[in-house]
Amino acid sequence: MSAEPESTLEGWAPEIHDTAHLAELIDLAFDYRGDVTLTPIHGAVLTGYLYNRNRAVPEPFVQVFDGTGGSHTFRYAEIRAIAFTGKDTAAGKSWEAWRQRKAESAAKPGA
Amino acid sequence: MSVPVSQMWAVASYVLRQKLAGRKRYPLVLMLEPLFRCNLACAGCGKIQYPAHILKRHLSVEQCLRAVDECGAPIVSIPGGEPLMYPEIGPLVRALVARRTYVYLCTNAILLKDKLDEGLFEPSKYLSFSVHMDGLREEHDEAVCRDGVYDQAREAIRAALRRGFRVTTNSTLFDGVSPLRMRQFFDEMMDLGVEGMMISPGYSYSKAPDQEHFLRRRRANELFSAILDKPRRRWRFNQSPLFLRFLMGKQDFECTPWGNPTYNMFGWQRPCYLLQEGYAATFRELMEETAWDQYGRRSGNPKCRDCMVHCGYEPSAVDHTFGSWRGFRDTVVATVTSRL
Repeated sequence: MSAEPESTLEGWAPEIHDTAHLAELIDLAFDYRGDVTLTPIHGAVLTGYLYNRNRAVPEPFVQVFDGTGGSHTFRYAEIRAIAFTGKDTAAGKSWEAWRQRKAESAAKPGA
Repeated sequence: MSVPVSQMWAVASYVLRQKLAGRKRYPLVLMLEPLFRCNLACAGCGKIQYPAHILKRHLSVEQCLRAVDECGAPIVSIPGGEPLMYPEIGPLVRALVARRTYVYLCTNAILLKDKLDEGLFEPSKYLSFSVHMDGLREEHDEAVCRDGVYDQAREAIRAALRRGFRVTTNSTLFDGVSPLRMRQFFDEMMDLGVEGMMISPGYSYSKAPDQEHFLRRRRANELFSAILDKPRRRWRFNQSPLFLRFLMGKQDFECTPWGNPTYNMFGWQRPCYLLQEGYAATFRELMEETAWDQYGRRSGNPKCRDCMVHCGYEPSAVDHTFGSWRGFRDTVVATVTSRL
């Protein structure tokens, strides 16, 4: 797990080493607030929001909403690759931006 | 306490039924999130950071009602997102009121006046608008990252009260808040005529943009003690007085994460309203297959260590009230005397 950037996973396309690594990547994808692209061993590549994962069951699985609202389920064992392709919507700086705007507004002449 | 007697009775009889049935875990308030879309982007909120296609989605009324039936809690709180942006909010609220379910519609009130003018809602003892107000104008507008929202909300509250609606406020308090200003805020809300107020410390969502201002436990105790010290008799709180005592450090509770179960477009959120560790397909699966012993302060889970949020601890306070004579006595005394 050395390739991940510090601030956001956006754009990251890691290689999967083994099943333990896959489970770690799925946890990161579950926590990621952007779309991911999932490549199954068989079948079509899917891009969507990974909204659920459960590895406390005999056959661990993930669930993904595609862009049109369809839900897809994949067993961990079916997944060949995961890439963090969508914009990380949690990486915003709205608090800082707000404080900066307020400060700039207060500093304007006549404010 | 400002909860109407009929609502108090509905909750009391429900809790007693659970106790008599020997149920160790039961829900008290269903947190029903029909959508994540919001017209604000508050600094302390970790609920709305999703891709556009997720923000465009929402639950159907049928899905919402199915969740209400599955859960069976006597109270349904509708947060979000901003529930007034949910296109089916009128039909959903009407259906819940028809079932005699107590509804708290949690709103920032930006759209409330327009929705009232449209005749979307009818006053009912089962419906309360719970307006998000994080303090006086300066503090609130800063918390919601937009100027003018406090005044909009105040106008909407006035409009709702004029029409005969129940209106409460909900306030999330962060580090740095002035106790004196909060006391002034309570006075102002009482002057406005709201039925009661709800307060809670914020939770440090990992996805919230502002990570610096969340309260740690001891600081929270000090802050709430200062805010609620010698409470004015005119202040009315729409929540358990034992929870307020807990915030002040006068009472200790363990978290009840199943007390306010959360349902949204992803399913039943594990384990609670604040933490997202996965989703169960059914309410039964949530209750029976969640590893509850891994949550709460005693579990040692670092995510739970400093949490004092109402969704976990208010159900504990209510359970304590109806679980022991002492709890019942303490609640009655605090309610009657307004002393915390």
